[in-house]
Formats: sequence, structure tokens, C-alpha cells
Amino acid sequence: MKRRSLMSLLLFLIVFSMISCAPQRMYYWGDYSNTLYAVRKDANDETLLKHQKALEQIIEESNTRNLRVPPGVYAELGYIYFKQNKKDMAVKYFDLEAKTYPESQVLMSRLTQAANAKTNKD
Amino acid sequence: MHRIKRIACLCLLLCMILFMLTSCGPKMVTKGDKFPLMYEERPVSIIILPPMNESTAADAKEYYSTTIQEPISFTGYYVFPYEVTSEILQMEGIYDADLLKDLPVTKFREYFGADAVLFTTIKKWDLSYIVIASTLTVSIDCELKSTKSDQILWRYNGTVVVDLSGGSSSSVVGLIVKTIVTAINTASADYVPYARVANYRALNTMPYGKYHQGYLRDKEQKFPDQEKK
Repeated sequence: MKRRSLMSLLLFLIVFSMISCAPQRMYYWGDYSNTLYAVRKDANDETLLKHQKALEQIIEESNTRNLRVPPGVYAELGYIYFKQNKKDMAVKYFDLEAKTYPESQVLMSRLTQAANAKTNKD
Repeated sequence: MHRIKRIACLCLLLCMILFMLTSCGPKMVTKGDKFPLMYEERPVSIIILPPMNESTAADAKEYYSTTIQEPISFTGYYVFPYEVTSEILQMEGIYDADLLKDLPVTKFREYFGADAVLFTTIKKWDLSYIVIASTLTVSIDCELKSTKSDQILWRYNGTVVVDLSGGSSSSVVGLIVKTIVTAINTASADYVPYARVANYRALNTMPYGKYHQGYLRDKEQKFPDQEKK
């Protein structure tokens, strides 16, 4: 009887340590790699839109979960707006990237400059 | 008397297990010993360059590049958005692997503000059929180079070999791979899930970056050495 309870205690400890040692997820990446893969396989309006939606969803979900938006996500979304000639939106997201990650400053100001050189099309 | 014998027996068994655990397998090294420059230079931002493809699959480069940004972010570094930086490089006319190799890495500090550059080389991305068995292999060489000192800060290879003929695999990673396979369940061989595992294996040895809670506290973490085989 004693042995049995000892065994179950041991088992419990093992299971517990496995659960508690699991690394905390730092970021929420949602469906990112899948939608990007779909774009690579066949880049069309549908797959591109899905990927854009995935980026927006990452930002939303990260905010509700109180997580930092993963590196590059704001910038990538901004770049999509940049290519759609939506200058204000592009600049907004480049700015968010630079604020979240000061390391991105050099590239973000470069991109902001490029966006500002465009004419707005909202 | 009986009891002492039993204890001695147990001790012997324990010793044997310990011995097996330590002597079998590859030589282990610590992150601090193997990659001291990572702790000295403490790079914060990494730019991923378009992969170099040495495999026989022409499309490997396009597909592999979708798998790397996410795992690097989890090691705690700022990763420049690959979709943006690769397009800029392409516009500048440097998408080709050979051109990238010759480019001075300091350029990436000037233009992007990157502390380090990640070179990836796809060594293998193929299926091979051997009489009764077929195996899928994905092998990626990773190398992180400083844009400050031009030195190699970190380097590791991640390889995944999967037996597709249904043989049993006992390793944990093997199990993970199996689960992914079932989840994807496509008739054509899909390499991407294996590329993710290969990335995971390689990046596991990279010292953590600033955004990871283990930053500068992982010097003693051990992993199998790859240099001297």
C-alpha cells in the first residue's frame, strides 16, 4: 500500500514537472506560417488576403493575451499597405514596429521615408 | 546479509545506467564554451538572408524560407521581417546566393541596422528510395555572422531523417514528426513540417537573446557537439 502511494506520488511529480517546465509561449504567431506557405505555393489575391488577415489576427490576439506582438509582424503588415499605396496605414504600422522594437528603427525610418514619397490612395 | 547484497546490486545497476548515459552518444558541450562570442557581443537583431540551396529541389528555397522567422523570434532576438527584407534585397538585385556570400556583412548594419546576419544553407531536401525503405531528409546549415566584427557567432546543423516506410521511431522528435505527418496527411511529400523540426534542432543550441527570459543565463546549457565527429 505504501509502495503504491509512493509510486503515484512519483508519477505525479514527473507529470507535474513536465507541465511546469514547458516554456511559456513568448509570442502568438497564429496561422502565420501556414498562410505564408500558401502564398509561396500560389500567390494570388485570395492567398495574399488570407495572409494579411492572419497578420491582423496575430496583432489582435496578442493584444488580448497581453503579449508583445511578434517581431516583424507590424512591419510586414505595414509593407502590405505600402504596396497597396495606402500610405497612412503603412506609416502607422512602421511606427508601431519601431515603438515595439527599437532595434528596427533604422529600417522602419527608411520604409517610412519611402512611404511618404508615395501619393496616398485610401 | 541479504539486504546488503540487494543494495549493492542496486548500486551497481545505478552506476551502469549513469555510465551508459554519460558515455553513449555524442560529446556534449555548453553554449558558453562553444559560442562565447554570442555572450561577448550580445547581438540583439538578426536579419535572415535568403537561403542558399545546395539540394536537388529547386523549390526548397521558397518553401524553407517560410519556416525560419517564427522559431528565431522564440529564441529571443529581434528578427527583421523576412518578407520585407528579402524583397528589398531582391529589388537591389541581390537575391542570388553567390552574390550574398560576397557581400560585406557590414552593409547589413548600415542599411537595416542588423547586429547579425543569419546564413542558411539547405544541404538536403530530398526523398530517397532504397529497395524497401524510403526516407525523407531535410538538412539545414545555419551560421550567424556579426556585422560588427565579421566573425561567426554561432553555427549549427539541423537534420531530420524520416523513415516513410512506416518503421517505428523511438525518439521523441520522431514521435513529433509522426504526429505532424498525420496532421498534414498529404499524398505528396510535404517537407515543411520537417524543416520546422530541423530548425528547432539547430536553434535549440543558440544562446538566448534579449527578449527571452533565459537571456545570459543559459551558458551552462548542454547540447551535442558537431565539429569533431
